[in-house]
Formats: sequence, structure tokens, C-alpha cells
Amino acid sequence: MDLSQYAELFLAESREHLSACNQLLLEWERRPAAPEPVGGIFRAVHTVKGMAATMGYARVADLAHRMENLLDHLRRGGRPPSDDTLQLLFRATDALEKAVDLAVAGRERDADVETVVVDLDRAVAALAPAAARAAAAPAADLVPSPPPLAGPIGGGAGRLVRVMLRLEAPLKGGRAMLIVRKAQSLGGVHGITPAPSAFEAEDFDGRFAFRLETSASPEEIEAAIRTVGDVERVAVGEDESRAPRVEGALEAGRTRHIRVDLRRLDALMNLIGELATARGRLNELAAEWRDPAIDDVAIQISRLSADLQTEIIQARMTPVWQVFDRFPRLVRDLARELGKQVAFRVEGKEIELDRAILDELGDPLVHLLRNAVDHGVEVPAERRKQGKKPEGEIVLSAVRERSSVAISIADDGRGIDRARVLGKAKREGLVDARAESLSDDQLLRVLARPGFSTAEAVTSVSGRGVGIDVALTKIRALGGSIEIRTELGKGTTFVLRLPVTLAIVRALIAAVGPERYALPLTYVAETVEFGTVAMTTMEGREAMVLRDRVVPLVHLRGLLGVSGEAPPARRPVIVLELGERRAGVVVDGMLGQQEIVVKGFEAPRGTLPVFSGATIMGDGVPALILDAAGLL
Amino acid sequence: MSHTVLVCDDAIFMRTMITDILAQAGFEIVGEAETGSQAVEKYKQLKPDLVTMDIVMPDMGGIDAVREICKHDPDAKILMCSAMGQQALVVEAIQAGAKDFVVKPFQPSRVLEAVQRVLG
Repeated sequence: MDLSQYAELFLAESREHLSACNQLLLEWERRPAAPEPVGGIFRAVHTVKGMAATMGYARVADLAHRMENLLDHLRRGGRPPSDDTLQLLFRATDALEKAVDLAVAGRERDADVETVVVDLDRAVAALAPAAARAAAAPAADLVPSPPPLAGPIGGGAGRLVRVMLRLEAPLKGGRAMLIVRKAQSLGGVHGITPAPSAFEAEDFDGRFAFRLETSASPEEIEAAIRTVGDVERVAVGEDESRAPRVEGALEAGRTRHIRVDLRRLDALMNLIGELATARGRLNELAAEWRDPAIDDVAIQISRLSADLQTEIIQARMTPVWQVFDRFPRLVRDLARELGKQVAFRVEGKEIELDRAILDELGDPLVHLLRNAVDHGVEVPAERRKQGKKPEGEIVLSAVRERSSVAISIADDGRGIDRARVLGKAKREGLVDARAESLSDDQLLRVLARPGFSTAEAVTSVSGRGVGIDVALTKIRALGGSIEIRTELGKGTTFVLRLPVTLAIVRALIAAVGPERYALPLTYVAETVEFGTVAMTTMEGREAMVLRDRVVPLVHLRGLLGVSGEAPPARRPVIVLELGERRAGVVVDGMLGQQEIVVKGFEAPRGTLPVFSGATIMGDGVPALILDAAGLL
Repeated sequence: MSHTVLVCDDAIFMRTMITDILAQAGFEIVGEAETGSQAVEKYKQLKPDLVTMDIVMPDMGGIDAVREICKHDPDAKILMCSAMGQQALVVEAIQAGAKDFVVKPFQPSRVLEAVQRVLG
């Protein structure tokens, strides 16, 4: 049969099991005396083994088999594993993960499993020398010699039945047991030789005999035994199975889950996007025609396509644990490497995000977590000196906000020394030489400068400043934002805010000159009319006073270089809010709210960094989407 | 009328493959279970003609599930799905009431042979 169609499923499911393996190994490392993790790890590895064998991935199956051996000994032994054993299992899990990837890519030969296999076998031998010896020579230790096929076995009533199974039959003991059961359906069975316990040995050779007290003829006995399958020879000496019951009516009951290729969902999303655009156009036409019949249809189509859209977006939602679950291992490895003690906690694992966003989130989070371990958390000695617990804490949490998800990475480490960053920023001319302090925002902007770093020793882990730079760029590209909060000696928290979905967002449509622009509602706090609120200045920039807060203003006309007709007298100000930051955007007019389908946007060089994408309006004319983070 | 089957395995991969093999041979897959206890529950609910049962599953293993199902219906037709190296477990499953077994990696022809034997 063609196995390639199962490769993706194999890969996806193996990864899930290996991720579970890592989770459980970490748990085991924390609580070595706990009995639960080893059972779960065993099951995960066993499942991977079975799937790999079915796919014909011999090396993967072999490695999994050796791991399973070791785990089985650990499970039976009931003793906490040594640190060496745990490290070996971590290493073996990594090797298995690589081997799975390579196998699916058609390069199983490249999988380097030899050393870890040798180490696993050595660990098994060390754990259970007796068992290993028995496995090497089981015939001598465990199984009595099989009886010759000819010759009498024991005395007593009944016909002597001797059976030899096919040489190539797998698990001959199981087959032998089935034959015994079959014989029992014909009459009384006794004198089984070798004893049934020998059937359980892996190297049972498939030859056995028993006595059967029955009224059935030798031909009937042989026929019955042959139906069990894998029978080479049956000999019945001198001395009826029940008809299968007709099964009752079946009840309807179907599986409730299917797996769908992500590309299918992407394609559906694109179609829904086009449908939404067409819907918008239909609504505009209906408004012009003023025909009640067309209105009805337009309303119905609007409702149906909105429902459809909700369903598809829901289908794309994926819980964040799918990405978060690999972090405990990462943090642990890093902390070990750097000689630090870190308790890592994950909260809000079940919060959901669009798969497309989640897939992009891994890298930025890795950068920020590396920073937290490397620069945030101090070494135990230093923490003690500060009067802190020797073990640092890092918390990764996801929280659903109105129409966004906030993901924060908080450490209780040394915090960022603003004075030092300020000094360096001044020397590099990044901030005004007269500045006396750095706000959180300014701090983030300085830290995010490519190449900016205050780490004295640039470690292999981070410290080149690229972390925050890369993370910020990526998060902004996803339509999200990053915020930083830090206090010297107490710790640092990064908060990432992301839209729940990328594909369709509600936006405010604003007019500037002849063009329309879309502003995602996620970041719109409110709107006010320009000129109706008190004006002031802030760091030399025009600002307005909104309920005792000074909000800097951006004139979109000026920013975008729109000339021509004078702006209307009454102009709205759209107040954007991004975490703690606010800004007012002055536009010419507001055209209402609308759902827009976000299309990727390749900005030509020299374009202002204030656009995050483009969309097609109901009338088919494109409009640019303004990036709140860029405007702020 | 085609025979109805309940497929029990904790791996979707395995369930998909068994389902494909059996469906192509004209069987009707009426349910799937991921754990032993689900298998027992669904057996009672669906009364399938045949059950394919993995041995190692979370929550309740396949062998305990065989015991539970046979307690409920001694005529239940259960086909164990085992792996090499599970001789002892397979023997135990048969003693518990399983009617036959197949060994991973599955060959469709062997699976169908075993199914035919079990269904008589």
C-alpha cells in the first residue's frame, strides 16, 4: 500500500508525542520519585515506535525500541532515575525527534542514532544486569526445551494434538494461545506442553502439544485448528465451535474529529476574504438600488457569510500550548548551561490564537525567553546576596484581552539598569544628550536598536541585542506590539499584544484627501473632534489634553504629504492606544467601521513605516492599513 | 450488510491506517476510541461486529478494556493490534478474551485475514 499519504500524519502525531515526552521528562526531573511520568513517556515512545515501524522507518523504530527498553526497566524498577539516566533520555528524545524529521524527508540514513543507541543499551545493562543476561540467552534460562513433534506427552484421556506453527508467523505464543482456546471450544484441554507460560517468551518456537477430550473427529479437530491461522502442521492422534451470533442493529455514532491540512484552511480563508469583499460590494449596490427584494437577499448573504467567516476563523484557532510546550525544555537546558536555577511556569496554555500567528510566534518568544534566562535571572550566588531565593522565576503567560491576546514573559531577575542604558544611548547619540531618564517606551526603542547591547560579556546565548530587535520586528509584522516594564533588582516583563486573527479585522475607515485608510479597531480607544479639546505641546510636538492626559498628535495629511484642497473645518481625531502609549491621529473624515480582509503588503523601499498591509474596499478600490505601532 | 467496526488506538495515525484498510475492504467504521475506557463505553453504545484494540493506551490499557468488554458481552469479537516484543501481553489479551491479533507494521492482507477469522 502507498504509505506516503500517511507521512504528514505520522510527522504531526510523532511531534505531539515527542513534545509530550519532553514535558514528562521535565516533570520527572523535578520530581524523580513520582511514578506517573515514566508511564506516559513509555506510552509516547511506544506509539512512535509502532507508527515508525508501520511507515517502514527502521532506524526510528529501532531507536524508539531501545528507549522503550530502558523505560520499561525504569518503570518496573520503580526507583527514581539517576541524573545521568534523565540526561540520556533527553538526548534520546532529541535524537528521535531528528530521526523522525529526517525519515519523513526521505533521509532516514542521515539520522545519527548509533551513539545514543549504544548508551541506551548500556544503561539497560547497568540497570538490570540479570535481565539483560536473560534476554541474551533466554532459551537456556526461561523456556524448557520444546518437545519433539513426535513422541507421547504425558498420559491421560483425550486425543494427542501436536501443532507446529509457520516459521514466519509473528508472535507465535499468541497464536498458540489462540489455538488452545480454539481447542477448548471443542472439549476439555489438558497436558499443554510446554506450559502456557512458555508462550509468553519472545523466542517460543511455535511447536506445542496438548490432549483434547472431545467427540469431534480428527478431521474436524484439524480443520478447527487450521482456522486459527499461521498453522504449518497439525497431527491428531487416536483418541465444534459456536456459530457466530448475528449482530444486532448498529446505532449511528460517528467520529467527531478529523484532521485538516492547514493549507486547506488557508485556501478557505482566502475564499472567505473574497466573499467578504463581494459582500461589501453587494451591500453598496443594494443601498443604491433601494429594492426591498435585493435588500433581503443582501442581508441574508451578509449574515450567512459572516457566520461562515466566524466558523472558519474558529477552525483556525489553535491553543498556544502547541508552541509553548517546547519552552520548558528550552529554558531548562539554557539554565543548566548557564549554571542558573530557574523555575519556569506557563499560564493560560489554553488561550487560542490564529494558527498563522502562532506559527510565527515561536522565534520571538525564544529570543525573549533566552534574554530572560541569560540577562534577567542572576546566578544563585548573586541572588542570595540580593536576599532573593536562589531559584529565579520566569513566567510565560497568555491572557485574552478584548480583541487581542497578551503574552507576557516575566522574570524576577536583575532588571535593566536604565542609567547604564541611558549612558550608552547618549554616547551612541540615540537619545538627546540632555535627557535625564528613559521611559519604558524609550528604553524599548533603544534596546531594540539593531546591535545595541549592554551586556559586558557577549555570551553564546544572547547579548548581541538582536533578541529584542528581531522580536519587535516580527511582532510588528504580525500587527502586534511589544511593551517593556522593568525595575532594577526586581525583574523585567515583556508584554506582547497580538491580534487574535490576522485574516479579517474590524477597522475604522478614515479619509485623508482622496484616499481611504483603514485603522484596525483593536488599537482604537476613542475618537474626538479636533479643536474641541485643549491643545498643548509635548517634547516640542503638538499634543492635546484628554481627561488630564497629554496625547501627542499626528496629522496624517502632513505625514503622508497630502496636498491639494484644504482640509475640512471639522476634523476627527482617532485616539490610538497601545498598552500605556496613546496618540491622536488627525484625519479628514471618518467613513465608518467595516470588516476588512488583510492582504500581505510588500512596501516599496522608502515607504513610511506606518502601513501594516492593504485591503480591497467594497467598491474594489484598494486601501492601505495603518499600523498603530508605527504611528505611535 | 457490511460489518461494523470500532477502532481503538491512541494514535490517530494508526486509527487512520486501520480505518483505511478496513473501509477499502467494505467495512463500516462506526466509531473510534483513544483510550481503553472510551473503547468500553463506545462498545456498549455502538455494539459493533468487530473491535480493533491497541494494547498500550493511556487511561485504561487495551487488555483491561478487553476484560471489561467481555464481561459485558462474552461474544465480543476483539482483534488486538500488537507490536513485536509484546508476546506476553498478547497471550494475556487472548486469555482475557481477545479473538485474534495482528502485528505492527500492518500488512493489509494480514489484517483482513485476521478480521475474516474473527468474524467467522
